[in-house]
Amino acid sequence: MTIRNIVFLGMVFLGVVIAMVPENTTKPYKLTAEEMVIEVQSAAEMVSADNVAHWLISKDPSLQLIDVRSPDEFQKYHLENAINIPLSVILEDEYRDIVDQGVKMNVLYSNGTLDSHKGWMILRQLGFENNYVLQGGLNYWFDTIMNPQAPSVYSADEEFAKYDFRKAASGALGGGGAVTLTAPAKTKAKKPPIIRKKKKKAPEGGC
Amino acid sequence: MGPLVPQEIIGANWNLFIAFAIGVGFGFVLEQAGFSSSRKLAGMFYGYDTVVLKVFFTGAITAMLGLLFFSLFGWIDLNLVYVNPTFLGSAIVGGIIMGAGFIMGGFCPGTSVCAAAIGKVDAMVFIGGIFLGVFFFAEGYPLLKDFYMSGSYGPLKLHEVLGISSGVLVLLVIIAALGMFKLGEMAEKKWPREEY
Repeated sequence: MTIRNIVFLGMVFLGVVIAMVPENTTKPYKLTAEEMVIEVQSAAEMVSADNVAHWLISKDPSLQLIDVRSPDEFQKYHLENAINIPLSVILEDEYRDIVDQGVKMNVLYSNGTLDSHKGWMILRQLGFENNYVLQGGLNYWFDTIMNPQAPSVYSADEEFAKYDFRKAASGALGGGGAVTLTAPAKTKAKKPPIIRKKKKKAPEGGC
Repeated sequence: MGPLVPQEIIGANWNLFIAFAIGVGFGFVLEQAGFSSSRKLAGMFYGYDTVVLKVFFTGAITAMLGLLFFSLFGWIDLNLVYVNPTFLGSAIVGGIIMGAGFIMGGFCPGTSVCAAAIGKVDAMVFIGGIFLGVFFFAEGYPLLKDFYMSGSYGPLKLHEVLGISSGVLVLLVIIAALGMFKLGEMAEKKWPREEY
């Protein structure tokens, strides 16, 4: 066999090998910039606070909350069963099995949504599935779930249903709503003294 | 890791230097392969010499295999490698003009510079023709612009158009190239050129 034929055979062999292996198996970023633009616009990564509250109360085993804030902030307050993966260590090997898996639904949260979105962008571009962002972050969580505001009398029935759910969720998750559930008596009791004080003050001023 | 220049692992200044070094190497190989003779390129058309086909297809296959294996090993991200956008209409007409120029002149732009470097006067005239063509194209650009931009398909990749994996396409190209090499050698026997 001449050298030329050996080279030809070698090329065909390499061609067969490359035809059989899957493409780009070790490419760092799986999604192109264009694909990211589409994903970001669709906002499909957002998970509403109400949904997360519902899953938390029903103790949905597929929910995995990930707190991307610093360990200090995590110590002060964090959502139930959340794990702390600050942004600086999100790519480290010990968390790899958590952020890159096909079973659970990871919901990233931070105080707002900026840091959680940073984390989500990194993970999504790496091609990891099942990562989501808590809509509005912890701030919105406190405003809506922990301290729900009663809708105005003219609101649609759905608003009231949402409010009732949030109140109940708040109670179950240990927020301010828990007080309001048992509170109607208390608030009613508080109101009369205030009125009385006003009544007393008025004559005092008159004297 | 790669590509090295778009990811700025190699800086812009080194990029130019490396381009220069590769250019010198390319010219050296062209000259060594005998491409500075205008008969080599013309021979491709008349069938008495198909070295050009072999050299360039071997180069293409090597590059294709290299890129795909590098990508497989994670050494290069093919999404970052620049792909020339396709303008179908102008590509076809341009190909015909350039092909005719190859046959008439016996050079391609690269080999003409190579041949001019070793003092061939016909190659220098050829280069003059290239510059004339560039001049007239640039001056006539407003008239030619619509046609120049026609049939725009963006950066097309053959395997995406055909809907097969890039690896399978490479294998097909290798087989096609080996077939063409064989055909080329048969042509060389059929239309030999004694005085060449």
